[in-house]
Amino acid sequence: MRRRELLQGTTAALFAGGARERKPPLDCGCTFQVQAASRAAAFDRVGSKLRITGMKVFGVSLSANSDRPYVFVKLETNQGIVGWGEGTLEGKAGSVIACMNDFHDFVVGADPIQVEHIWQSMYVHSFYRGGPVIGSAISGIDQALWDIRGKALGMPAYELLGGPFDTRGVRGYYHADGVRTPDQLKQLRETAIEQGVSCFKAGPAGYYEWIDTNAKITQTVKQLAALREGLGPDIDIAVDFHAKTSPTVASIIIKELEPLNLLWVEEPCPPENVKAMARIARRSTTPLATGERLGACYGFRELIEMGVVDILQPDINHVGGISALWKVGAMAEAAGISMAPHACEGPIGGIATLHVDSAMPNFLVQEICGGVRASAQDKIWEEWLGFPAMRMVNGRFPLPEKPGLGFDLTEAALAKYPFAGTRPMARVFAPDGSVVEW
Amino acid sequence: MRAIDFRRSRLSAFLAAQANTRAPGSGGLSIADCKAYALREPVSGREYALLKIEATGGIAGWGETRSISADDVARAAAVLRGRQATEFVPLHAELTALPNVQAAANMALLDIVGQAAKAPVYQLLGGPTRHKARAMASLMGPDDAALVAWLKRAQVAGFHAFLVPAVKPAALNSGQAFVNANRKRLEALRAAGGDQSDFVIDCGAALSPGDAASLSDALERMHPLWLDEPCALTSLNAISKVAAERVTPLGFGRSVTHAAVFQDLLREDLIDVFRPDLLRNGITQIKKFAALAEANYVSVAPYHDGGPVGAAAALHLAASLPNFFAQQVPQPVAEEDRRFRADLAGAGLETATDGYFALPTAPGLGLRVNVSMLGKEVA
Repeated sequence: MRRRELLQGTTAALFAGGARERKPPLDCGCTFQVQAASRAAAFDRVGSKLRITGMKVFGVSLSANSDRPYVFVKLETNQGIVGWGEGTLEGKAGSVIACMNDFHDFVVGADPIQVEHIWQSMYVHSFYRGGPVIGSAISGIDQALWDIRGKALGMPAYELLGGPFDTRGVRGYYHADGVRTPDQLKQLRETAIEQGVSCFKAGPAGYYEWIDTNAKITQTVKQLAALREGLGPDIDIAVDFHAKTSPTVASIIIKELEPLNLLWVEEPCPPENVKAMARIARRSTTPLATGERLGACYGFRELIEMGVVDILQPDINHVGGISALWKVGAMAEAAGISMAPHACEGPIGGIATLHVDSAMPNFLVQEICGGVRASAQDKIWEEWLGFPAMRMVNGRFPLPEKPGLGFDLTEAALAKYPFAGTRPMARVFAPDGSVVEW
Repeated sequence: MRAIDFRRSRLSAFLAAQANTRAPGSGGLSIADCKAYALREPVSGREYALLKIEATGGIAGWGETRSISADDVARAAAVLRGRQATEFVPLHAELTALPNVQAAANMALLDIVGQAAKAPVYQLLGGPTRHKARAMASLMGPDDAALVAWLKRAQVAGFHAFLVPAVKPAALNSGQAFVNANRKRLEALRAAGGDQSDFVIDCGAALSPGDAASLSDALERMHPLWLDEPCALTSLNAISKVAAERVTPLGFGRSVTHAAVFQDLLREDLIDVFRPDLLRNGITQIKKFAALAEANYVSVAPYHDGGPVGAAAALHLAASLPNFFAQQVPQPVAEEDRRFRADLAGAGLETATDGYFALPTAPGLGLRVNVSMLGKEVA
């Protein structure tokens, strides 16, 4: 609260000639003179009459032990339009909720039409740029602003983005983890053909050290070869290494996987070192994909410039919402890189992604962390939104038709699943007890 | 009393108690003297030397080096006397002119600090990062049959990973026969060792980049853990011939004492495993090298061909690194040599179980050096 008092104090001093006597703030020598706190009146002539009047942040836990309670944000306006967005961050729900609330002053009172302007203010004026917590908070608010703008202008977000490229919807893929036996694989293939699903993703079962054994490598190769064998030659298979492997181990495994003609290998090493990933790319013809842990256009620049990957996978709940996902797509397009956005959280982010997907010329395929059979979670999403969100029809996610993000959601619907607190993501250890990626 | 007040009072009592029983600070860890002892295994003739640093409070720390002269000891003592054992980082720099002493002094000083703090060295260094350390036995032998026989004995002794010598080419760039002989060797070892055995192929920096590239190509699909020191660290461009097109991992570093060499190898994408020699670098220095490796998702497997005191230091290092992969130790053929090592620093130290070494748990390096085996002081 002190910050807001400070702002009020400063603006009061600026406009009232210091009539109100206040103690001058402590000068640490590190603070610029605080500028006008709220939206400049000069925007009134060029902006809209819409104003954000309230921001509500919800933690939504489908189960008590979920590592990713959904973090939803609802923005209310002076004209009754509301916007919803999602900033779910796995293992860090409490942090994102707090961070969204920290953005209160950036949002409440603002003109929601100015999405890009507000985005820039949240990102630039945070001083410490980006990161997953700030990125997820911005993502949720950005999506809600797009929802409001679309509703205010009477258009789905994908139309505001110049889409869709394909009115049939957005090509997607389900996960095929845990499908192992020849019988299970045969059944999956039959179901896929019946449902028109053209692509699956799976990951190697084990965990890896940065150098690993012949036994581990051989077992991985066998598992993935069986997947190709079982699904047949005409269904696309993406394989997610989930950053479990070092460049060294990834290169060895990918060498063995080349004959499987995979759609891509994903996160073949952890994401902080682009050059390390480039080393894998140089020794492989299998397309590489990465990006779910990267933020804003800045997080992708080096990967794109160095020509390291073939496919980028930003997550709309972390990268900075619709605004940032679209920009990454534009940068990728210029470099001949495809987009296959990550989606493994709640339904709002999933639906928001579909809007961007359908407006990108370089879109490849959309993820949803679910199986070919609908789950209990899918039922809840349908109960909330009134339609089977993020379920494919003929291998595609149908496009929403209503304005904005294209769904109606009530606080009452969420009330059945109150926030049960932050839970960590899986913590996995090697046989010697040391920390490994999962 | 409110719960929070109770917890606070307990905490302050705990902190006060700690303050009173604090390990001897300045003064107690002043270095009084250092001594050295040369050792030689009875059958193999393997030589190493122990450095003993004595603190004024009565604690003594041990380190290992390959060899040390009386002059080295005298000059080291002149640097060390009156300094604090906790100054192990500045002292490393001040001993630069004495490379035979540097690493041993680092081990001995950490041994003293650990004993004073009543903590194993890996706890001083932020560990343990693991509860056991993957073991690797280095095997030697004139031919495949001898290596296979030795492998089987090392397996019985609990090892799953092995450093084995490559078949050397008759002459540089000698082509197919050399490649085939090495393929045959790895096949023979794997057939004998089974699916759960893993091999590092030690080329001893003796191959030309061309031969190393051929070997890397031939063994790529057989998944050796890595090729060790495939060629000398001369031209990085030449080494790139080995690293650029094949995925066989490469290990380098047993002659390296400067981080810049590792930095160059990383920058040029030429290295998959850091192999710094424990006796040339010591614990702290390798921990710094490992930080470079970590930023590139590269593992560290310190090279060690010396004695059991060095092996103990290596285990503390292993348990303080996040990116440690395996610790190689010499696996003596002769029973006398095995006993010599066990008698010197304690049985069990170099014993592998199911492919891993157990970590020492006593304070410092956790050694009990058997002084009756040390013989005369180097003087």
